[in-house]
Amino acid sequence: METRRCTIIRTVGPAMPRGERPQQKPARKSPSSPQLWDLKIAVIVARDDDGERLIRELQRLRCGIKHIWPMPPQIPAQFDVVFCALSSDLPQRLPWIPGEPAAALVVVDNGEGPLDLGLLHNCAAHSILHYPTTPRSVETALSLARGHFLYERRLRGRIEKLDESLRTMRSVERAKSLLIRIRDMTEEEAYNYLRKQAMERRVTIGVVAKAVVDSFELLS
Amino acid sequence: MKEPSNTTEPWRVGVLFSQTGFMSIIEETQLRGTLTAIDEINSSGGVNGRPIEPICYDPGSEASAFGLLAKKLMVEDDVSTIFGCYTSSSRKAVLPVVERLNGLLWYPTLYEGFEFSPNVIYTGATPNQNSVELCRILMETYGNRFYFVGSDYIFARDSNRIMRELVRTSGGTVVGESYVRLGADRFEFTPVMRDVKRLRPDVIFSTVVGDGTIYLYQAYCNLGLDPRVMPIASLTTSESEIGAMGYDVGEGHVTAAPYFQGVGNERNSTFVRQYQRRYGEDQPTNMCLEASYFQVNVFARTLEQTNSMDTEILRASVMGSEFSAPQGEVVINPTWGHADLWTRIGRANRQGQFDLIYESPSCVSSDPYLLGYGRKLKQKSFEFA
Repeated sequence: METRRCTIIRTVGPAMPRGERPQQKPARKSPSSPQLWDLKIAVIVARDDDGERLIRELQRLRCGIKHIWPMPPQIPAQFDVVFCALSSDLPQRLPWIPGEPAAALVVVDNGEGPLDLGLLHNCAAHSILHYPTTPRSVETALSLARGHFLYERRLRGRIEKLDESLRTMRSVERAKSLLIRIRDMTEEEAYNYLRKQAMERRVTIGVVAKAVVDSFELLS
Repeated sequence: MKEPSNTTEPWRVGVLFSQTGFMSIIEETQLRGTLTAIDEINSSGGVNGRPIEPICYDPGSEASAFGLLAKKLMVEDDVSTIFGCYTSSSRKAVLPVVERLNGLLWYPTLYEGFEFSPNVIYTGATPNQNSVELCRILMETYGNRFYFVGSDYIFARDSNRIMRELVRTSGGTVVGESYVRLGADRFEFTPVMRDVKRLRPDVIFSTVVGDGTIYLYQAYCNLGLDPRVMPIASLTTSESEIGAMGYDVGEGHVTAAPYFQGVGNERNSTFVRQYQRRYGEDQPTNMCLEASYFQVNVFARTLEQTNSMDTEILRASVMGSEFSAPQGEVVINPTWGHADLWTRIGRANRQGQFDLIYESPSCVSSDPYLLGYGRKLKQKSFEFA
């Protein structure tokens, strides 16, 4: 889990004229923006000019690239990010169910045919790349996709943890009320007792609470 | 979703219940309940002049198939509302799909609670609507030594965790606990029942589901145990399972449910009559079938007002709505999106029906996280003291 804390230092300098880019200097990133180098990336697009440019740009960003074409019936899942041409059956080719993606997905739109927002919705993509490819569009699409993917994963983890904690809370409450009644403790003392036991035994407070409740049942 | 205003195009909805595999015995009845309701609605003109068209798939009792088919329904069939799921594992497989693609799952089965998804309407009971009263009645009637047996999955483990809490807080003990795998074979239940026979509890609390239910009760019967002194109590054994195991095998055992076929009101008699006209005089109704039936009606009445299948609009509009179901008046609880349901406890008789031993005075507010239950419990233990 990325939980690094950093201070962002802003430097003040002359404003850059519109349209001008710093020469080949890597874009300045907030320290908490997702790292893009060393990502394993599948690129599933035709190798036309735009496709070539996309691959070159990802290589320039120091990513590990695997090019796959034609599009396989099942998109491989063992990558960090998948760039994939938008086809009308892309949702069916994705090996995961929406909501539980195994990789960040960037759909690549070559701009042909009418726009299908329903299709885009069903792909549950993390980002989109429109042709013609530019270095700027590739890097932003990659960064956004990776960021959304990681954020989704953190949220899912948080919900899991919350669900678990809700269950644990019940045993903690029960253990506390037992201690208050039997050991004649105050609520504060009972909680501190549970926490101290948990720290000494290097287990969670839920485990200690459950043990207290269990042993109470054995003794009574 | 595109909703042209002047059209007779059907409202398409997804239906996911197993017609094959070890859960089909009960899920088949949920499918029937769903289709019966849809047929009734369509034969009286549909919803705003448009019929409801069910798209049904058979996940074959495999949890992962539920997830994949939910995706298929939403992605290929362009459906946003799905009626389906019995086991908690299948619900949890569908959950990420409806949450990510913003669909609405209508879930007509009792479950262990401790869940709240903005993309699910829950119309089966949660522990405060069945386990709490069941525990009280069992302790008053049979004694306080419990044995737990369950199918090895989320529902059973969590329901037993809650029941254990209830039993303990009321001064009882759990003398033994066994789990058999989901979809277990008949012979796997014999050792469990031997263990029961040895420990002689006052009550066996069963959270076994599917075909296993039948094997469990039959293994009990084969060992010559007596339900009058040591019944099996369950949250899931309905008229359908009793019919499958044999009326003599089921007789005397106890079930807590919002609905039994024998519920005495005009609405229910009509429901049972119409169901049996369609599927045969010997086909019983049950709690899961009833929930499947009334939730389609709640959906249709909501759709009539919204005239849109958009999940946001549909959900906002269904919250707080009241409905006269075969079990009695029910409400979709506006805080939780779970239904406020009746609590009933029945004992199976020789005709495969349940004789009521407890009935709540009205529908009981849903409390999936048991927030109001610490207080209730004190009252309960006070009563016992």
